[in-house]
Amino acid sequence: MKRICLVCQNVDCKNRGADELMKELQQRVKDQGIDDLEVRPYLCFGACQEGPNVVLYPEKSWYAGVKKGDLDDIMGHLAGGPNVTRLDTIDGSLKELIYQLLDTGVF
Amino acid sequence: MQGILFPRGVVEGRENLQAYRARGGYEALAQALKGFSPGQILQEIADSGLRGRGGAGFPTGKKWAFTAESTETPHYMVLNGGEDEPGSKKDRLLMENLPHLVLEGLILASYAVKASKAYLYINAIYEEATRSMSDALAEAKAAGYWGEKINAGGDFSLEILLSPAPANYVAGEDTAALEVIEGKQPLPRQKPPFPATAGLFGKPTAVNNVETLANVAPIIAHGAKWYRSFGTAESPGTMIFSMNEEVHRPGVYELPFGTPLRYLIEDCGGGVKSGNRIKAIQPGGPSSAYLPGEKIDIPLDHNSVRQAGSAIGCGVVHPITTESCIVEETLRIAEFFSVESCGQCPACRMETNMLAAMLKKVQQGQGGQPILDQFAKVIAFNKGKGFCNLVNMPGPPIESALRLFRADFDSHLANGRCPQG
Repeated sequence: MKRICLVCQNVDCKNRGADELMKELQQRVKDQGIDDLEVRPYLCFGACQEGPNVVLYPEKSWYAGVKKGDLDDIMGHLAGGPNVTRLDTIDGSLKELIYQLLDTGVF
Repeated sequence: MQGILFPRGVVEGRENLQAYRARGGYEALAQALKGFSPGQILQEIADSGLRGRGGAGFPTGKKWAFTAESTETPHYMVLNGGEDEPGSKKDRLLMENLPHLVLEGLILASYAVKASKAYLYINAIYEEATRSMSDALAEAKAAGYWGEKINAGGDFSLEILLSPAPANYVAGEDTAALEVIEGKQPLPRQKPPFPATAGLFGKPTAVNNVETLANVAPIIAHGAKWYRSFGTAESPGTMIFSMNEEVHRPGVYELPFGTPLRYLIEDCGGGVKSGNRIKAIQPGGPSSAYLPGEKIDIPLDHNSVRQAGSAIGCGVVHPITTESCIVEETLRIAEFFSVESCGQCPACRMETNMLAAMLKKVQQGQGGQPILDQFAKVIAFNKGKGFCNLVNMPGPPIESALRLFRADFDSHLANGRCPQG
């Protein structure tokens, strides 16, 4: 299964620049030739106050409040480097809910 | 059965001022303006036990008291004729056929809450209802039923204006209606404050459903005690129920609260068209929980329907027979709420979109049994997190469907289709 990088595109995340972030991530993934990863939009992760939100699946990493300046570190993680733990600020129960939904194939 | 709004059964055609007066119309208003204070009118409505007919069933007297007692001025009155609930036809029928009954109720209500201005907020696609109410306004104005200094003391003046309502679901929500009347987009406001104390232009405003206001003049004319001779102790009076194409005789039926659900479906509606067994009944519109078909003998009143596990809402009764699939039914409902969510509250956007996406998966046979466990979690996560109640609406039908008709869901997950094939 291809790894998926899901970028929330609901209104709050979008207002905070999620669309540009997604496009930038897609371009960088393409430029760096990371073939086993697809960057795609997601309808909502329910953490609207803390967006833009990005989730990696199936490894289940969550990046909240992502800014353009975070993309170098995130790309490093996508390419096999360390997780960017400073962006993992989301409550455990919400993470569990969203990860379970992803496990059931709701994309 | 004798009705209150339709004493001789549902009327055909529009009742003009002359015909309305010939059966005692506007006598309640004349009496009220001559010899009763606003407080006395309000007390009579409170004593009658009248409850709102827009869906929530809140006691009208209590709602009016918040507005009437507010020292802020001016006070406003709003007739909510948005009626965007799918399958509901009652408010349109009342405005089209009995415009003066509605208008007399509105004027009495305005007097009771001490409103100096009232708005008729009517669904813009209801052209005939708008014309009917507009003509009634002119007829009643010419007859002196509203305007400057219309009561005995000369201190009550009322201006009434029409305000078209956008034809989308959320525009019928009371605070969204206020936004539209103020010239803005139909987006619900955060509550509290409630419109009763801080509504239109920030002033105390009573917002009432059309059917609610249509009950006011008969109550004032005949008294609270007479009104309570209909219905049950906690749901006095009658209610107009809407039945749609599932039955032989679709239409609206005014019945005393407490009438058995079976009477509505079989005697009024003529039974279900398919002739198959009724497996489920949604008694109060798309946001009400399903009842199993065996509950067809419950009385139609607020308490009985709640005790049975659902809500009477605005009285749109939807029987579902064995050839129908509950997965398809709930998917339609989830998609409806996802389309109708106004989008301003993150939780509502998330929930309505997510539930529709999840049900689509189930319909297509994807997600396996674990996806069924996620519905309650998504609903619980978002519960009560919106400005208006829409965020809470898909929950009851979906959760009751999962509880009562698990076999339909299992069949979709196992075979990608309904148990009926």
